[in-house]
Amino acid sequence: MLFNSISFAIFLPVVFILYWFVLNKSLKIQNMLVLVASYFFYGLWDWRFLFLIFASTLVDYLVGIAIDNNNENLKRKKAWLWVSVIFNIGLLGFFKYYNFFADSFIDMFQLFGYNITSTWTLNIILPVGISFYTFQTMSYSLDIYYNRLKPSKDFLSFATFVAFFPQLVAGPIERATDLLGQISSKRVFSQNQIIEGLKLILWGLFKKMVIADALAPMVDDIFTNYSTYPASTLILGVTLFSFQVYGDFSGYSDIAIGTSKLFGIELMSNFKFPNFSRNVAEYWQRWHISLSTWFRHYIYIPLGGSRVSKLKSVRNICIIFLVSGFWHGANWTFIFWGAFHALAFVPVFLLGRNAIYKDSVVAENSFFPSFVEIGQLLLTFAIVTFSRIFFRSESLTDAFGYISRIGSDMSYAPYQHPLGYRMTDYFILVLLFVLYEFRMRRDERSPFKFKNKYVRFAAYTLVIFAILLFYDSGFDRSFIYFQF
Amino acid sequence: MKKLILKIGLYGILFVVALECLTRIFYLGEDKPNRFLDKNNVEKWVPGQEGYAMTGNRKQNFIKFHINKSGYNSYHEFAPTKDKIEVALVGDSFIEGFHQPYARSTGRKIEDSFKQQLEVYEYGYSGYDMADQLHLMYSYKNDFELIDYVYIKLKFNNDLMRSKYEVSHSRLNMQSPLNNLLKKSKLLIYLTDIGFIDPIKSFIGKTNAFIRNNKPQKAAPAVDQNKIDKEYLANFESLVDLYGYDKEKNVLLLDVEETSPLFITYLKENNYQYIDFGNKINHSDKPTTLIYDMHWNNYGRKIIADLITEDLRSKMNLNK
Repeated sequence: MLFNSISFAIFLPVVFILYWFVLNKSLKIQNMLVLVASYFFYGLWDWRFLFLIFASTLVDYLVGIAIDNNNENLKRKKAWLWVSVIFNIGLLGFFKYYNFFADSFIDMFQLFGYNITSTWTLNIILPVGISFYTFQTMSYSLDIYYNRLKPSKDFLSFATFVAFFPQLVAGPIERATDLLGQISSKRVFSQNQIIEGLKLILWGLFKKMVIADALAPMVDDIFTNYSTYPASTLILGVTLFSFQVYGDFSGYSDIAIGTSKLFGIELMSNFKFPNFSRNVAEYWQRWHISLSTWFRHYIYIPLGGSRVSKLKSVRNICIIFLVSGFWHGANWTFIFWGAFHALAFVPVFLLGRNAIYKDSVVAENSFFPSFVEIGQLLLTFAIVTFSRIFFRSESLTDAFGYISRIGSDMSYAPYQHPLGYRMTDYFILVLLFVLYEFRMRRDERSPFKFKNKYVRFAAYTLVIFAILLFYDSGFDRSFIYFQF
Repeated sequence: MKKLILKIGLYGILFVVALECLTRIFYLGEDKPNRFLDKNNVEKWVPGQEGYAMTGNRKQNFIKFHINKSGYNSYHEFAPTKDKIEVALVGDSFIEGFHQPYARSTGRKIEDSFKQQLEVYEYGYSGYDMADQLHLMYSYKNDFELIDYVYIKLKFNNDLMRSKYEVSHSRLNMQSPLNNLLKKSKLLIYLTDIGFIDPIKSFIGKTNAFIRNNKPQKAAPAVDQNKIDKEYLANFESLVDLYGYDKEKNVLLLDVEETSPLFITYLKENNYQYIDFGNKINHSDKPTTLIYDMHWNNYGRKIIADLITEDLRSKMNLNK
C-alpha cells in the first residue's frame, strides 16, 4: 500500500478512528490493532513475505532475552548476538545480495578466461522494506548486547515495534531505545500532535507528488537516452534527479513521521534540509539521518570511530560509506557511490571540519547566506549531485558513459520535456521549493510555520492546489527507496 | 476530540471552496457541452454552445469550441447546396476536433488547399462508430444527397461492433440530472479529467466485484481473430443494407495496417472506395499524434488533409 494511494487514504482514517475512538480501552488492544493494521498494510504488497517479518521478530525477541540471560557469560552472550546478526544478514544476503555475489563471482572467473555458464542466479523477488526492518531488529539485539536496553518481555509490543506500518517499508530506521518505549507506554490523545502530523503528511505528499513525481519523466528520459543528449541536458538530468530523490524520500519520511504522530508516536527526523549543507560531512548529518545514525552507532563507533589513529579513522570512514553504498543495493553503482562519498568525506575529516556545522544552519543569524556560504552550498550540492550519477545509473558502464558524455559533448541545447510540457514551469517550481525550504531551514517539523492563520490557510490551499496541478494519473507513483 | 473533528471538517469545506475558486480563476475546469438526441434519434451536441475544451493530462491544450446549428463543432453552418461543392468528413473525435484549433482542422486544411472553392463539413462526434455514422447519413439523406463528396473515417477494430444503430444510453446518461449538477463544480470536472477520481472509481468497482463474486476471474478465452473479422464484416454488410451506401460518393478513410485483410479484400471485390492513411501516418519521420494522446496533431491532420485533397483533385479534375 502506497502512502499516496486511495487505499491508504481509506486505510489511515479507519485505523485512526478505531485506534482512538473504538479500541482505546487498553494499550494491548491498541497495539494489537496497530500490529494487525501493519501486517495488512504490508500484506497488500505480498502477503508471503509477512512470514519473514514475523521470523525476524521472533528470532530477535528470543535472542534479546537470551543475550540478557547470559549477561555474565560473555562468550554465550556474543554467540546469541551472532545468531541475530547471521539471521538478519542472512535474510538480506539471500533476498538482496545472492544474485549479485553469484554474478560477480562468474564475472571474476570470466575475467581470468574461465567460461562459466550462469545457472546459479535465482529468480527471487526483493521483499519490500527488508533492509529497513532487518536493521531495526538487529539494532534491538545490539542494544541489549551493549547493555543499553533491557529486553522486552511483551511480544506484542515488540512485534508492533518491528512492523509499525508508518515506517515499516522505508524507515526512518528506529532504535528500540526510542520507539519500543513509546509503543510499550500508554499514548495520550493530543490535538496538537495530530494537527502537526496532518501538516507533515500534507507537506510530504507535496514533496512526493509535486516535486519528485513531476521531475521523474524528465530524469527517466535523460538517463535512459543519455547517449543522445549534450552535456547541458545531462547536467540538468542529474540535477533534477537530486531534487527528485530528495522529494521522494524526504516526502516519504515526512508522511511516515506525520502518520506516526496521528497515533501518538514520535519518530526521529530523517532529513534536515541536506540541500543546505556547507560540506559533505554536514550533508551526512542531514541526509537519511536514521541510516547514518545506525551505521555510526553499530559500525563506526565499535570500530573505534574517530578515537583511534587518523589512519584507522579514515579506514572506518571508508568502511561505513562502502557498507552504506552496498546497503542501498546489490549493484556496483552503489558501491562506487559510497566510495565517492568516502573520498569526498575524508578530506573534510582530515581538515577537522566534519563536525563544525553540527549544531548550526546556513545563514544562522541572518536572512541571506553570505557569499562564502553560497559557495559552500553550491560546491557541496555539486559534489553530491555528481555522485548521484552512480546512484541513478543502471550499471557502471552507464554511469561512466554518462560522465564521459558530459566531458566529451560540452554543448548546449534546450531540453524539451518528454510529455511536451513547458520546462520553465519546472524551473520555477524547483526554485520556489528551494526558497521555501530555505525559509523553513531551522525546523524540519514545521512546514507551515506562519503566525497569521490566513497566510497559513493560503499556504495549505496552494500546496493542495499544486498537488492537483501536477498530479499525473498515467505515472507510476511508487517510492524510489522501496527498491532498497 | 469533537473540536478536532469539527476543525478538520470546517477546514475541509474551506479547502474545497478555495480550490473551486482557484480552478475557476486559472480556468482548469473544462467547459463540457451538453448532448442531446435530435428528432431523428441522432446523438449530437446541443447547438449554439461555446466554450473551451482542454485536453492533455495537464490541460496544456486549450481550444475554443463552437457547436453549430447542426450540432457539430464547427464555425461553418452546414447548408449544402446544388451549386457549390461541399465535402463531408464523417467520423469520431478525430474529426470532431475538440483537441485542435478550428483554423487548423483537417477540413480547413482541405479548404485552404482548394483556396476556398469548396466547403468542408466536419460531422465529427466523440464515440461515433460506423452504425452512428451511416445512421446519421441516412437520417439526413437530403443533406447528404446535396453534398458532393463524403469521407467516412473507419477504425475496423472499434467501429464495426454493431450491426444496427441504437441510441447509446451510456453516453447520454452523462446528461443525467446528477451529472449536470456535478458539472457545476469546475473542481470536480478538473479532478475527473486528470484522473484523480479514477482510483476511487476503481476502488469502488473492485469492492463491488469482491462483494458480488469472490471467485477468481477465469482467464479470457483465446481470441479467434478470424471469427471476429467475419463478424465485423457481417456487421458492415448489415449496416449498408439498413442505411444504404453510395459507392460513387463515399470514401472510407482507414488504416490498412490495422484493418483485417478479409475486410480489405471485401472492399476491393465490391468496389468500395477507400484511402489508406496508415502508411503515411504510421511511418512518418515527424510525430503525427499529440504527445499526451493518440489524436492527430497538426502534422497528422495535414497528412490526412493532403490525402483527401489528392483524392478530390483526381475526382474533380481541378487544377492547383
